[in-house]
Amino acid sequence: MKAPGIDEITGEDPPLDMIAHGLVFGEGPVWDKRKKRLLFTEIIGDSIWEYTPGVGVKRLIHPSSHANGLTFDHEGRVLVAGWSKRTIWRIEPDGTLVDIASRYDGKKLNSPNDIIVRSDGLIYWTDSAGGLVIPGMPGEDLQRYLDVQGVYCMTPDGTVHLAIADCHYPNGLAFSTDEKVLYVNESRLGIIRSFDVKSDGSVGPGRLFHTMQGTEGGVADGMKVDVKDNVYCTGPGGIHIIDKGGKLLGRLRVPGHCTNLAWGDDDWRSLYITTFHDVVRTRLQIPGVAVW
Amino acid sequence: MAWKFERVAGPFQGPANGVVWDGSGAIFSLMEDMRLLRYDPKTKEAKELRKYTNRVNGLAYGRGGELLGCQEGGRRLVEFASDGRMFKVDALLDGKYHNHPCDLAVDKAGRIWFSDPHSATLAFGPQIFPALDHASVLRLEKNERNAWAMKRVTFDTKAPRAILLSADEKTLYVSENPARADDKRELRAYALREDGSVGDYAVLLTFGADRRGPHRGIEGLCKDANGNVYACGGSRASGAGPLIYVFNADHNLIGAHPFAGDAPNRCCFGGADGKTLFVTTGDGCLYAGMPEK
Repeated sequence: MKAPGIDEITGEDPPLDMIAHGLVFGEGPVWDKRKKRLLFTEIIGDSIWEYTPGVGVKRLIHPSSHANGLTFDHEGRVLVAGWSKRTIWRIEPDGTLVDIASRYDGKKLNSPNDIIVRSDGLIYWTDSAGGLVIPGMPGEDLQRYLDVQGVYCMTPDGTVHLAIADCHYPNGLAFSTDEKVLYVNESRLGIIRSFDVKSDGSVGPGRLFHTMQGTEGGVADGMKVDVKDNVYCTGPGGIHIIDKGGKLLGRLRVPGHCTNLAWGDDDWRSLYITTFHDVVRTRLQIPGVAVW
Repeated sequence: MAWKFERVAGPFQGPANGVVWDGSGAIFSLMEDMRLLRYDPKTKEAKELRKYTNRVNGLAYGRGGELLGCQEGGRRLVEFASDGRMFKVDALLDGKYHNHPCDLAVDKAGRIWFSDPHSATLAFGPQIFPALDHASVLRLEKNERNAWAMKRVTFDTKAPRAILLSADEKTLYVSENPARADDKRELRAYALREDGSVGDYAVLLTFGADRRGPHRGIEGLCKDANGNVYACGGSRASGAGPLIYVFNADHNLIGAHPFAGDAPNRCCFGGADGKTLFVTTGDGCLYAGMPEK
């Protein structure tokens, strides 16, 4: 049985197109509106890839220090959650790679997982410690130094603030359309929390927004929001679509273990989904929130 | 001569596992608590040395004095650098990720021998890489490009756990320690060939089962300055109880000492004169023992 409203999002029979295959831990999809291409990472494959519709897939960066989440800043530069490099790094227009954040309180970050940018340029990322322990993606230094697995916010002056400290294993994060709410999911707890966001970038205490359902493979990982404030989160069996009240509307069943998702194409109505081994695309009726 | 054992630290959270003497203290691992502690006999205190170890079991020193550990949770060997960092020390075996390293020994050439059993506790995160279809003793050695390369050493083990090289490096001791009652639990002494492969093995101990369950086999091995081999194992749950067995270099049993704690896990010699036997236990303790005078 479908929940009311789901057809308005998915249509009756959303397509599922194979975009890339044979990856080892696909992640980090983000649409590059200027070059009309999708960028995504392959964590264990240690690469950043691009997919251009009508052209195909091309490896851009290898090795990538096992890069994870990607986004763009407001100058159109790619920002990278440097999972095993333990930094937030940026790809400059000339291709130079620059670390922009690497420590909090004088200590190395754990392993930045996913990353978003607020409209005023503040950069938020989750800093779970999985990159230090999961086989197949070792960085140079595997020692964890921070006692928290938190959410960080970097202000334009380069200061790194601990925005959320009471996390267990924060993973995906996304703003509501008005950027007054920050959603953060917890992979190991199977929940999404919501936080009121203040103008200075700090956030209020978290509220339970949604508890993931299902027993299939997949966990709360990547997360995005559409223009009607529905929340899309990877989870058991595929992509879970949740309305702004926290109610599950339905699930997009996707083969494989979903890791992340991104809106794309000119109308922002394509949903690109990364899994452990593939990138797939579907088309939805409602556009997602544009990046950059 | 009877031995007297004294609990010197613990109990801590979860079991105590790998133990190594650093010259003035005993470093031991709390695998489930994901910490390394260091016991100082002078102060009689155990202090935290390292957090977030991700389930490190066996500990040993490399030829350069670097502290090495079997990181079961990460399916790799790691080095604990003195400046606080942790490095991967590992390689793939024929392109595949090995299982969960349990115990290790370093030879005079700097090669790292380690047991690689399967584990009921999975590695952290998504299970991208399946376990090997065997559980063997493996060996890391530097190749011609000075990079680590992996070789398989045993082809007849199901659940190798404790390992030890004899003083002359002509024997590899392996505790084969499967949990099922109808599997053999043995302490084996493999003859080592010049090329690093193993020949036939002698069985030094065999453990059976009784109505209370399978007898816990050997979990820890170490040697003294005379080349005698000490093997700790057993438990109060079944069998003859927790014991420390002693073999001479000819593989003859020359002693078996009741152990004061339960479920001895790993052992090493240390102390000012190198004659104190430190033993970790399944109930999270560190014991120190020596012959009674």
